[in-house]
Amino acid sequence: MGSIEFESRPVTFRPGDTVASALYRHGVRTFSRSLKYHRRRGLYCGTGDCPNCSMTVDGQPAVRTCTVRCAEGMRVDRAGGWPNAERDLLHVTDRLHRVMPVGFYYKTFVRPRFAWAVAERVIRRATGLGALPSTASAERKVVRHVHVDTLVIGAGLAGLEATREAAADGSVLVCDEGRAARSAAPGPAPDPIGELRTAVASLEHVTLLDEATALGVYEGLHVPLARASELVHVYPSRVVVATGATEEHGVFPGNDLPGVMLGRAAAALAGPHGVRPGDRAVVVVRTEEGVQHLQTLIDAGVEVVATAVSPALVQRVPEGAGEIVPGSDVLEARGGSSLRSVVLRRDGRGKRFECDLLVLSLGLVPRDGLARMAIPDEDVTVVGDAALGVGNSGLGGLDGTVCLCEDVSVHDLEQAWDEGFRNAELLKRYTTTTMGPCQGAMCGRALSCFAVSRDATPAPSPVAPRTTARPPARPVTLETLAAGVHEIVDRRTSLNELHVAAGARLDRSGGWLRPFSYGDWREEYRAVRERVSLMDVGTLGKFTIAGPGAGDLVDRLFPCRTGDLEPGRTRYVLTLDDAGYVMDDGLLARVGENEWFLTTTSGGAGRADARLRNLADRLGLDAHVLDRTAQWGAINVAGPNARDLLERLTDDAIDAASVRYPGFADLSVAGVPCRAIRTGFVGELAFELHHPRRRGPELWAALVDAGRDWDLMPHGLDALELLRLEKGHVYIGQDTMPDDTPAKLGMAWAVDMSKRWFVGKRALERMAELPMARRHVGLEFSDRPEDTADLRGEPLLLGDAVVGRVTSAERSIVLDRAIGLGWVRAVDGGSPDRLRTGSGATASVVTTPFYDPDGGRMRG
Amino acid sequence: MAELRTDLPRVLAILASSDVCDRVEVPAGSALLRVAPNEAMLVGTDDADGVRADVPGATLVEVVSDAWTSLVLEGHDASEAFARVSELRVPEAGWLQGEVAAAAAKVIVEAGRITILVPANLVAHVEERIRADAAEVLIR
Repeated sequence: MGSIEFESRPVTFRPGDTVASALYRHGVRTFSRSLKYHRRRGLYCGTGDCPNCSMTVDGQPAVRTCTVRCAEGMRVDRAGGWPNAERDLLHVTDRLHRVMPVGFYYKTFVRPRFAWAVAERVIRRATGLGALPSTASAERKVVRHVHVDTLVIGAGLAGLEATREAAADGSVLVCDEGRAARSAAPGPAPDPIGELRTAVASLEHVTLLDEATALGVYEGLHVPLARASELVHVYPSRVVVATGATEEHGVFPGNDLPGVMLGRAAAALAGPHGVRPGDRAVVVVRTEEGVQHLQTLIDAGVEVVATAVSPALVQRVPEGAGEIVPGSDVLEARGGSSLRSVVLRRDGRGKRFECDLLVLSLGLVPRDGLARMAIPDEDVTVVGDAALGVGNSGLGGLDGTVCLCEDVSVHDLEQAWDEGFRNAELLKRYTTTTMGPCQGAMCGRALSCFAVSRDATPAPSPVAPRTTARPPARPVTLETLAAGVHEIVDRRTSLNELHVAAGARLDRSGGWLRPFSYGDWREEYRAVRERVSLMDVGTLGKFTIAGPGAGDLVDRLFPCRTGDLEPGRTRYVLTLDDAGYVMDDGLLARVGENEWFLTTTSGGAGRADARLRNLADRLGLDAHVLDRTAQWGAINVAGPNARDLLERLTDDAIDAASVRYPGFADLSVAGVPCRAIRTGFVGELAFELHHPRRRGPELWAALVDAGRDWDLMPHGLDALELLRLEKGHVYIGQDTMPDDTPAKLGMAWAVDMSKRWFVGKRALERMAELPMARRHVGLEFSDRPEDTADLRGEPLLLGDAVVGRVTSAERSIVLDRAIGLGWVRAVDGGSPDRLRTGSGATASVVTTPFYDPDGGRMRG
Repeated sequence: MAELRTDLPRVLAILASSDVCDRVEVPAGSALLRVAPNEAMLVGTDDADGVRADVPGATLVEVVSDAWTSLVLEGHDASEAFARVSELRVPEAGWLQGEVAAAAAKVIVEAGRITILVPANLVAHVEERIRADAAEVLIR
């Protein structure tokens, strides 16, 4: 004996008890409230298919308690209902069918427009299956990928037989959801399964995976299996679906009253769990299995007052089955908080039987949703009860609940049909029948039968049309879906550990982990402007483009002239897409006759690699691309003393004539081979030292050591933000819009329209005929001297009209004024030059660069 | 169980036409990975001069060892550990390329050993993921 906590009260359980069986023994009859009308719902299927016994177990909502074994101290709560599920005042909604018909949210609260916002909030509070845990899961679920020849989903008799056959042809993985064993329902006797399971488990190449739930069958084939601690992605050559069948859901008025129960649930309670499901029962038997259920109930001491039995099974009905009513249907179940009586059809009239239990063994419906997810050509077979057909035997009752999950009745389907939704798929979408947690396990057949029964075509299909099955086949937790998702993939330079040791504040930028500051970014800024500083720019995209067609490739890709670039010289390049929009920028260096070197933005490397290769392939050029982004690190040595610093570490000539601006030279710095590229991004004399990645720490240390006389300190992205802004350099992405052309950015100088062809040229030609709708400008701000950075993102106003936006803003240290960049829309054919920001600062359009406009410092 | 260790491989990049790539001789202890019709990687050697001499028509033969770091899984559960971070089907022996822990990687498979070549700037991420996701089958 153990104890669980049910709504703060102790409930004892016996070995083998499920949560549902323990609660039933304890006297609980209302297991949940229905989603919409808050009707009482009792234990119903007992096999984990219907939603009725869903409760919150140890904080996890929507757990089918009929398939969860009790564990000591387990906390169980019913969800839904106000103030609680037992006494639920929201049950009043069951009287409001007229104002909440099916699809009511398409019709009501639509006008006035604010009404829906209010109604939605109320509806969300009044419905639902429980609250998601507000704290994160302590453990991350792991992922496993498995390749097998055959995956068998289901470890019942049919599944195990299929496994035995498949094992002769290769590896087999058997997915055993284990619901049948946990709910211990009769049906196929457990012993034959146990023996077969033991035999199958001993076969070579067979792996049994317990407690694994197949979530879907995806093309490929690919079947994800959810387990308690892991998500297993299975890639089989063949899938065998052996998921068995559910018992048929009976549809008649009152069919969802507590006390109405499917045969397997009643037999499981009465048999293995030793709980009498009721005192007086009416039993409906239409299957051989139903006869067993009936016997189990009688053996458990349940008084069976009447048995409605198929004529073919009359002779099989055991003693003690009460009044035998051959060929009868249930016309109605009556009761209040639980079942009180059942009306059976007898001799064309109704006969009422007082009872507190109605057991339905109506037949089997294949649990074949997984098989129906597979695309036709794939090797997916269905065996056992899962392969049963779904006959069109009619809906049965004139009313009653069709969809237990979504609270949809026959009346609702009638109404939807009358509104014109006249096939099973349309009814499904409009009424949400089959779209709840059970995914049609209970109601799918009933919906299809309804559609066929209303079909006026001369010869309606003898087989009920099935609606589309989609993953997930079973409810799945968010942490399972998130398993194996690598939401953050950080690239790191070879200097990462040095940055950490230096106390840098690292964060993500362009897919890299980068230093933003090493302490005081203003001091780092001053080091660049006044002395010398280092920055790790190993994140830049770096490519060699080589081969006889390399010259053609770069000439076709970039909009500027490239053919006149001499070896040793570099040129700033924009990358355009076919629409003429700016995608990226970088520096192109000519290394030799047929060799070029390209740097791109840190976040643009992957796309640049693909783009270069695509274009070479499209144009049939004999050009090769070598991505050196991971191979080479890069350190930018910047500041008025940059050359002095390098001179201490190299014997190579690095004067302005030897390493020209813009240009590069291959040097040895501190014994490390480097490609030194003169750059101007920060507006000072600067050398970007591209070097073998593994020697990066050695080079960095040598530079730091040699720079002590200048109180050298590295700078991070925070300082860079102001340094580049003072030069008026844009950050592609931050300062630009997806449809910015070079002209809009004021960079028409980077395009040579006289070139015969480059990517984006035709688009630029066409756009040149249009008036400029927007342009990127330099800005100076007044009235907001101290919190300039906050201006970033603010709208730019002309009068009350928004005509632009601030994309970058900082207070310049060297200029002692607030500066920024932004875009401004054309107004009346002109471009306004005096604007106001959203927070009231005055913004004046000015020319850039703000700092060292003639570039004398960087050319140094 | 399996053991995970990092290694600094020797790698040559060979950019050449398809027929030139076909003529590359593979030194003993090395593996030739034809990563594209006109591109090959030779793993296990950095003798660029030797390869240039063998295949004079190559556009570029260059040591690119710095670009790569190897994560080597060895032992009985090497495949199991690998399966925690990649959906690639591991052959008995050979090589393949694809995604490992969300990184583009080359994978060389030998008896009892899986060598995952990862771009050096992603190796910290991939190693962390393998150590976390395959912890139960890795020797600590």
